[in-house]
This record gives sequence, structure tokens and C-alpha cells, in this order.
Amino acid sequence: MIGSNAAEAHPVAMQHVLYAKEVNNAPIIVVDPRFTRLAAKATDYVRIRPGTDTAFVMGLINQIVSRDWYDKEFVRTRVAGFPEMCKVASHYTPEVVEDITGVPASEVVRIAKLMATHRPGTVVWCMGGTQHSIGSSNTRAFCILQLVLGNMGKAGGGTNIFRGHDNVQGATDMCVLSHSLPGYYGIKDGSWKHWCQVWDVDYEWIKSRFHSKEYMNKKGFTLARWYEGVNQDDKINQYTPIKALIQWGCAGNSNSQMFKAAKAMNKLELVVIVDPFAPAMCEWGDKDNIYLLPCSSQYETSGSLTSTSRQFQWRFKVVDPVYESKDDYEIMAELVKRLGFADKFYKNIKKIPEDITREICKGTLTIGYNGALPERIKKHTLNWHTFDIDTLQAKGGPCDGEYYGLPWPCWTETHPGTPILYDISKPVAKGGLPFRARFGTKITYYDGRTENLLAAEGVANPGSQVKGGYPEFKDIVPGTNWKTDLSQKTIKEAIKRGMAPFGNARARCVVWTFPDQVPVHREPVHSPRPDLIAKYPTYEDKPDQYRVYTRFKSEQDPELVKKFPFVIITGRMVEHMGGGAETRSNKYLSELQPKVYAEINERTANNLGIRNGQMVWIESPEGGRIKVMAKVTDRVDEHTIFLPYHFAGQFEGKSMVDKYPEGLAPYAVGEPANIVTNYGYDIITQIQATKDGLCNVKPA
Amino acid sequence: MAQKKIIKNGKAGKRSRRITLNPKLARRSFLKLSVAAAAVTGAALAPRLTKTVAAEAAKKEPYPGSKKIKTICTYCSVGCGIIAEVQNGVWVRQEIATDHPVSRGGHCCKGAGAIEMVTSEKRLKTPMKRVGGKWQKISWDQAMDEISAKLLDIRKKDGPDALHFNGSAKVSNEMAYLQRKFAAFWGSNNIDHQARI
Repeated sequence: MIGSNAAEAHPVAMQHVLYAKEVNNAPIIVVDPRFTRLAAKATDYVRIRPGTDTAFVMGLINQIVSRDWYDKEFVRTRVAGFPEMCKVASHYTPEVVEDITGVPASEVVRIAKLMATHRPGTVVWCMGGTQHSIGSSNTRAFCILQLVLGNMGKAGGGTNIFRGHDNVQGATDMCVLSHSLPGYYGIKDGSWKHWCQVWDVDYEWIKSRFHSKEYMNKKGFTLARWYEGVNQDDKINQYTPIKALIQWGCAGNSNSQMFKAAKAMNKLELVVIVDPFAPAMCEWGDKDNIYLLPCSSQYETSGSLTSTSRQFQWRFKVVDPVYESKDDYEIMAELVKRLGFADKFYKNIKKIPEDITREICKGTLTIGYNGALPERIKKHTLNWHTFDIDTLQAKGGPCDGEYYGLPWPCWTETHPGTPILYDISKPVAKGGLPFRARFGTKITYYDGRTENLLAAEGVANPGSQVKGGYPEFKDIVPGTNWKTDLSQKTIKEAIKRGMAPFGNARARCVVWTFPDQVPVHREPVHSPRPDLIAKYPTYEDKPDQYRVYTRFKSEQDPELVKKFPFVIITGRMVEHMGGGAETRSNKYLSELQPKVYAEINERTANNLGIRNGQMVWIESPEGGRIKVMAKVTDRVDEHTIFLPYHFAGQFEGKSMVDKYPEGLAPYAVGEPANIVTNYGYDIITQIQATKDGLCNVKPA
Repeated sequence: MAQKKIIKNGKAGKRSRRITLNPKLARRSFLKLSVAAAAVTGAALAPRLTKTVAAEAAKKEPYPGSKKIKTICTYCSVGCGIIAEVQNGVWVRQEIATDHPVSRGGHCCKGAGAIEMVTSEKRLKTPMKRVGGKWQKISWDQAMDEISAKLLDIRKKDGPDALHFNGSAKVSNEMAYLQRKFAAFWGSNNIDHQARI
């Protein structure tokens, strides 16, 4: 488990982890800069320097390969780009890994052996793995580790990302994202045409709604940097600055460098906040440009949601919206009606939410949402007691043989769901799958070697008509493929032949479209190791990353650590969630965990003259500062400061409680940690690097 | 598997009588069980999170005619089951779902207090607008009329990309889908949500 603190962030999932430990005797290896509550439950704890996950994991891979511990048959038949990857990994010897990560060389070898001798094993990660400028390399390295161990597509194996919010998997699948339409279709012309067909609207009309066709195909601003569209501290690539903001169920204080987002408020002409509780954003700005709309909680409405295990559940409505709040659907309907496109928007949606679910099923073929019809989801939730707790398969009853929640892809109206991805031991119709053929059938690498990307001869799901690799299905209905054929004939044909609609290919270790084709270590943008910057520099600046100039190299200053000598990391508490507007408005949870604090190592505290419980100032290179209580502890090492990020209601030492509507400020208030998280973004996804910035600490 | 263990650790045979959050026991027992949740996590959670109610009290049925509704916790992505008890349209108490195949009766301190999402006095009660630096209550019609007029004005003056929409990982699939569809029909890709960060 790397970069996850499941004991606090996903407590109920821990019963499965602890079962593996206590009953199956599985070693639980926790890799984290901080000795978390999860680490307290581990059999092996590895303290790692923040932002060096790739170096550590490539070091493990190097050991597993060079000592011949890897799964040769799995690699031969189902993996692509293996020699290219090994060559890169060979740089990460135990000694090199020790220098970069701080993990002793002998530990690197020991942990590699532990993984190799305990198969199948799973890798779990969370934001500790992703919130870095090389976050996309970290996650790829974790996947490659599982490929070389042959741990993919097996019960007890796989890569299990414990996701954050209750429906972050579903909202990701629905692509509330600036670079894609629902179902990961992207924003190219073909993607727009597909969805226009599903929506039953004219493509030309949708096109006419955009500023120009260029902007229809251009990725938009992201949650990480939307405020630059207002402030323009970094140059933007859009014909107009952002003038209006709708913030619907999203906490402002989870943005890094939050004070910059706060600064944007007064420059906006209109701010609309939709939330059940008064969020941190009410504290920001002082202009009369802001509206607060009370939406109901999710217990006062209904709909489906997708858990971190890709399982659909129906959240049945408990009570009607309280006070004058309205549910989300109603607010959206009121807005759309007034904006003048309700007839087109709701063309095939009469019954809410079920007709929306049906429209999602109709269009979201890529990840097999099509079989998860509203009636089926409800049936599963209402009969959750009929499912076996080991296999998650229903034993008799109305869902007999199906997997709980129809984990996607759920290919047809009778498909049982896919509980484990890429499992070739089962027929596709029974929940099995090969790896997807997504990247063509052949590739010539940078070293000149050419490789067939389809799976090897003899590797396919039981009952497959083709006993080996095959490309994706297309032209069953002429001019379409499995993901654009709305009649779903293509998908059904594939399943009938015992084959996966998306083909049967190899998982790739080399991504030829990424700047680092194989994951390599790069120092954080704000690095505490100036001596390593020359050897492992960050990327070149990106002039147009999601419509804004994003600095990498020009931001990496070897001198910075002299003024800001500590690494800052943030994380969760079990009592609070996200920005905390909900949990800090719960009086019981607020009593349990009323205050924000900074974890500071004993040695550091003693050197700085800081006592436990004393107030300290934490300052960021960007000029943000917060006043918080010191918690002196050896959970963190002497170079690292940890802050929980759920708080608001205080801003750089000042109380902001008066800025909330009267009586509606949360019970628990404190400084938002994100005032002092640093500049820094992932090269591919633009996720904020909140887990490897720098800061200074002094007594207040 | 873990189910067996839970029963072993707890008192087998009394599972059906466990409830949480009986308002009559209210605050004290809640705090007690939340402290337990903070201190320990995992398999041992379920028995500590529950309270065996005396057979007599159970017989009294404190909420006659109430309905039990199966729903799902709104906090994290584990997707724990919750049994909500509703009487006369009011959510009166919640029970753990011992037979949910994933959570198996487990709850963290947040999930154990799910009912507070509806009962908290801190809920926003009406639409509001900041006027002269002070929050003022307004009607839904006024709020929606003013907001949509301003949006249309900005769209005309500065173009559709002058709006940025931060949507949510805390809404249903159907609502998340409508948020993305809204941006498409509005005419901009300036839409994003928590999964980015």
C-alpha cells in the first residue's frame, strides 16, 4: 500500500485488508513518508522521501527482473515493451534508490523479495501516489510492477486504487472533465458525433453553441488551475478570461495555493455556489457577486453511484429535501429552462433519474455501462443480502450468479458484471476479460525494435473463437465499431463468439505519446535535494496545458530549499471528509476532531524551540502562511511537516467566521492546509502536487 | 469470511438486535462509538460500533409504523450500506447493514453519523445572495432569474468560455452526467471536478 492511509480514509475497507493479514498471513507493506494509522497496522513499513515513488518502485522492478523473480510466461504472452522498460529500470540499483528515496538499499531488495514470494499480491494507492509532478509516472510504475509479477487479472491481485469521494468513480466515468465526454470518449469530432446521436440533437447545433470548432476540440481549464483563467498570473490560451464560476458540490479549500483561488473571487462577475452546507468559499472575496443555492443532501434524492470497486448501487431516497432546499436535478432543470435549451437537453428524459440512467447506458459503451440498467441496479441494492461475501456472486435469489453491483464493464442486459479486470480464466460472458487492444496492433519503439501488440498465441478467455490475440471489433454494423454502434450488435456479437469487444492485446510498459515513455524519476518541482536536480531535472515548461502556461523547469530552483527547508505533505483524518463543510457541520465529529494541527518531528521541534501544543507559522514559497498548533511526533521524519487539509474558517491567522451566513459557520474551524501547499502540477493530468512541496516553520 | 470473524468477536446470535443511533441513547453512545472508530479500524469495528438493545426496549418499537430504507453512505467510495428508518417523512434513526456484502455492518465515525447530513442545524435553508457584504435570503425564483440573466449576458458579451463549471464527485451518476452534458450544451469544455485533483 503506497501513498494510501486507508485506516483513516477508507476505514471500512480495512476489514478486508486486515483479513488478508490476519487470516491469510499476507504481509502488509506500507510505503509512506509518514507513519500513518495504516502503517501502524502494517507488517512492514517503508519510510520514503515524498515524491520518489517511481524511483522506489522501478528499483523493486529492477530487482525482480534481474534476480529472475518475474513471471516469464505472463510477460511473454501478455506484456509489451518489456525489454525497453527493463533497460530503464536497470538504472535503479538499490544504491541509487537509497540515494533518491532514503530507503536503505537492503530494504529495497528485501521488499522486492517479499513481493515476489507472496503471489498474488495487490498494490493499493491513493493521492499520496498521484499528487506529484510525476504522478502519472508513479501510477504507471505501480502497474508495471504488477505486470512483471504476473499479478494482473487474478483474485487477490490487481491494482486497487482506493478512490476518495463516494461517487468519484462514477463522476470520472461520466467525465465531468475538461478533456472528455462521458465514457472517456474524448472531445474529437467522432466523440461529439457519437454523443450528439445519443442526445438526439443535431451536431451542427452543438457546434454552433461553441465559440468556434477549435474550442470544441480544445481541452478546457481544470479544477486545479481554473483560477488562472481569472487571475492570469500565468499566461492563458483562451480568447476571454473567465468571468463567471459555477461551483456545484465541490470544496474550494481542496485547491492547492488556495489563496490564489480566493483572490480570483473579487475579479469574477458572477459566482454561484450549490451546496447543502455553507462551504469555505463563502469566506472569499467581499463583492456582491455571489449566490448560495441550497441543494439537498444525497439522502434527499435518488440515483445510481459507482463505488471504488466499479460496483453500481442505487442510493434510494430517504426523505424529501429539508427546509427550502431542492435536489440537484431540480436546480439543473430550473437553470436549463431559463437558459433556453430545455427542450433539447431533456429530449428523451421524462422520468428523473431513471431516464437519465438509460441515456447513460445507451451511450457509455466504452466501459460497459450499457448493461447496468436502473432496474438491475435497484434489484442488486435491494437484495444485497443474497451475495456471497467472498466471491461477491449472488447465491440464488433474483440476482443468481451475478456479481454484486454489476461491476463494469457490464456488457449486456444479462451480463453478470466483471468483478476482476483482465481475468482470462473466465469466459467474457461470465465476467472474464483480456487486456484491451487500444493502441494499434504493432509498434516500432525508439530503439528500433518492432513488436506485435496483440496477446500471444494460445492466450484467450475460455470459449473464445480466436485462441490468441485479436484486434477490437468493428464494421459488424458498417461504419461503426464496438464503442460507436448504438444498436450494440457489435458488443453482442463479440460476446457470442466468446470474445471481448475491445480485442485481446498486451499491456504496455512503454507509452510512446508521453514525455517519459517509461517512468523515470524526476525531482519534485520544489525539490529539497538540489544535488539531484541536475541529474533528475523536471520537465520543460508546458505553454498550453489545459489552456494555461504551466511552469516546470523555470519553477525548479535549487536555492529554494535554503529558505524553505521542510517538505510539506497533506492528508486526511478519519473524522472529516474533503473540504470538511459536511463533517465540520456535524457536532459530534467536530467534537471528536475540532482542530487543525501540524505534525512536526521531535528533533525539528527541539531545534526550532517549538513545544507540543504551541502555535506555529507555516509559510509557503508562494507567500501563503497559516497559523496552526504544533503536534510534536515522530510520525513524520525531521525533514517533513504533515497537515490535515479539511479545515476552513480561519485565514492566515484571522477568523473568517463572520463571513458565513449568520449561524451557519461550521462547528469546527481552522486554517486550510491548502493555503501553504505549493505550485506544481502533473505533466499529463495537471493534478496538483500537494504531496511534495516545501515550506518553512517558525514559532508564532 | 470476515462475517464469521465478526460474529466470533461479537456476541453470536444477537446480531439482529443491534442498532445504532437510537436518539433515546443519542449523544453519549454516539460519542462512545465514534471514539472506538477513531481508535480502532477494520474487522473489529462492527461489534464495537453497535449497541445491544435490551429485548424489552426493542419490543416497545419507539417508532411505530416506521419504514426502513436501504441506502448508501455519502462519504467515501467504499459504498457502505445504511438502513435508514423513516417515520412520517422524518429520518429518525439509522442502522448498520450487517448483510451488506462490502461493508458487512462496518461503519466509520462519519458513516455512523450519516443522519446528520439531514438533521444538522447548519444546513443552508434558503437561497442567499451577498448584498453590501451581508448575506441576504432570497427566493428561488429571484436567484434563478438573476443568475441565468447574468450568465446569458456574459455569454453574449464574452463568449461561452467565460464560464467555468466545477462539478462534483458527490452527486449521483445521473447528476454528474447532466453536469457534463450541461457544459456541452452551453458550448464550453471549461468543466471539471474533484477527480482531477
